[in-house]
Amino acid sequence: MKSLSLTELAIRYGFLLLMAGLIVVFSVLRPAFLSPQSGVFILQSVAITGILALGVTATLVVDGFDLSIGAVATSAMMLSAYVMVIWEMGAVPAVLLCLGMGALVGLVNGLLIVKMRVPDLLATLGMMFLLVGLQRIPTQGNSISTGMMLPGGQAAEGSFAPEFLMLGRHRIDFILPDLVPLSVVVLIVIALLTWAFLELTRHGRVMYAIGSNAQAAGLAGINVAGYRILAYVISGVMASIGGILLAARLGRGDVASGNNLLLDSVAAALIGFAVLGAAKPNAFGTAIGALFVGILLQGLTMLNAPYYTQDFIKGAVLVVALVFTFALSGRVGRARR
Amino acid sequence: MISRRIFAALVSGVALVPGLALAQDAPAPFDNPGDVNIALVRYLSTGDFFQAYLSGVEKQAAALGVNLQVFDSRQDAALQADMVDQAIALGVDGIIIQHGLTESMKEAAQRAVDAGIKVVAFDVNVENAAIPQVEQSDAALAQLALDQAIADNGAEWVAGFVHVAGIAPLDRRAAVWEEVKAANPGINEVAMFGTLDNPIANSVANQARSVLSANPNIQVMFAPYDEFAKGVKIAVDEAGMSGQVSIYSADISTADIQLMREEGSAWKATAATNPAVVGEVSVRSLALLLAGENPGASVIVPPTLITQAMLNELDIKNMEELGAKLPAFAHADVAMAPWMTLPPR
Repeated sequence: MKSLSLTELAIRYGFLLLMAGLIVVFSVLRPAFLSPQSGVFILQSVAITGILALGVTATLVVDGFDLSIGAVATSAMMLSAYVMVIWEMGAVPAVLLCLGMGALVGLVNGLLIVKMRVPDLLATLGMMFLLVGLQRIPTQGNSISTGMMLPGGQAAEGSFAPEFLMLGRHRIDFILPDLVPLSVVVLIVIALLTWAFLELTRHGRVMYAIGSNAQAAGLAGINVAGYRILAYVISGVMASIGGILLAARLGRGDVASGNNLLLDSVAAALIGFAVLGAAKPNAFGTAIGALFVGILLQGLTMLNAPYYTQDFIKGAVLVVALVFTFALSGRVGRARR
Repeated sequence: MISRRIFAALVSGVALVPGLALAQDAPAPFDNPGDVNIALVRYLSTGDFFQAYLSGVEKQAAALGVNLQVFDSRQDAALQADMVDQAIALGVDGIIIQHGLTESMKEAAQRAVDAGIKVVAFDVNVENAAIPQVEQSDAALAQLALDQAIADNGAEWVAGFVHVAGIAPLDRRAAVWEEVKAANPGINEVAMFGTLDNPIANSVANQARSVLSANPNIQVMFAPYDEFAKGVKIAVDEAGMSGQVSIYSADISTADIQLMREEGSAWKATAATNPAVVGEVSVRSLALLLAGENPGASVIVPPTLITQAMLNELDIKNMEELGAKLPAFAHADVAMAPWMTLPPR
């Protein structure tokens, strides 16, 4: 019993310990790492992938998968820029149209998967390609920025609304003046909402039930199709929020595939499986997973580590996290430290 | 075929207006440009630079009155080689190879030359003496930007350098940075970082924030690619250090101009070659070859230095105004012949 409890302890708290250890190591090597600005900045650097990862978590919970989130995010970035720069509308319509676009894409994904019976990976892969192409059609492949030349030969008159840019740039006084960026507040609010939704409401428990056995859930009278579609709508909306924040930070509509956003957020969600030994998708774990990657990248960059070592370490963390998860569910029962 | 003929008719219609007298003096085959077919075989096409390059190729082809066909392999090296064979099979008179890999393009380019087709290559070395290379000089770009950094800040500063090794143009720019550092021992590089994770500006901003908090004494950031510079500028603004850090970069776009002109912007100067001009020069080099003239083994398009002060003084808001108000940027006087019609400005 004693050795078992030790293993369990390692599985439960190993990841959090690893994170604490990293913080200590980085702080010793680079004292600047421990400043409040640095802490807030880590949160800011993971805000966008964190929000996307929470969307991925929602689809993972119902045993689905959404490959289109990166493309939804960059499409939302292009759409918001298009609405403001070319249609010359304000921040509110830009945000609403992006959220609507995210919800619509999620709805189409959900309908393809539930009603047309297309496997989730294939449906969302198709959607990903579709969106990567679609977002470039209106501008013929160009990025959107204020003052850009329109096909008609005039300069675009519109510009990014200041309220919109605030979403990515404004900082709130917290302990120190101008400390916490709005994007971090958005991340924290969304993480709390997702956590509360999945853990505390009936809907959340129903979604977990669908994820573990959809047939049983259906026989118990649950609207399985409805909840699965809902999961993709949540995922699409989260991705569009990520895209809005990205546009607000960059201040332009950037032609980008969003594949890195997809991969980073999936990694965060999968790392989340290992946190507290949950062995299932969960909002708290996802947030910690995103934070973990952010801490690693911030520390390594401060130490002048080149980008490829960062990719390597990101991959290593993911593998270790998966070992944590599957060592727990498997019979082997030996978690690696 | 109909559409191509209509296109040719339109194009020659446009070309006739200013160039009637000139066109008659043009050497064969440009005495009858509607019969000249050229192909652009692309490896890279996504992004502002490549869009602008294409527009330059299209405009110069239209000005000459030749027919242009565009093949886009979308970063598929094998497909790009197949597309050269396709162009050979179509019987085009000339081919522009835009980017690609030496290994995959070398033989395809040789096959085209063997078929009697004139070929020029932009930014890819196909190791063929019969094929002129059109290049934007990365070394000159980096040198111009760094000269300006030294002119602005003296020869003693703490520097951060943004670089991703293994990308040929970035490596050529980095080589100049190493030389400048060696020549100026007062330049102290405390951090080197960089990534090409998409969207690049966002990923670089994250890194630059870490670098700035680890090294708050940085005075100059050399970011010799505009996506890098954008990321660094975001980080400098977020860290509230725009009064202290100066950014020097390479390349330019409308979005970059806006960023450089922001109130108190840290982005002080950039050196750039106009991608549209590079496109025009590519077509003109090919035209020289077709007319039996020699553009030279390497055709270098010279870069222009663009400073924040210049942009503010001339009130330049986008790439078009940059071209209009900085003539050096709108036209490069290379690969020219008196009989050639230039695109309208």
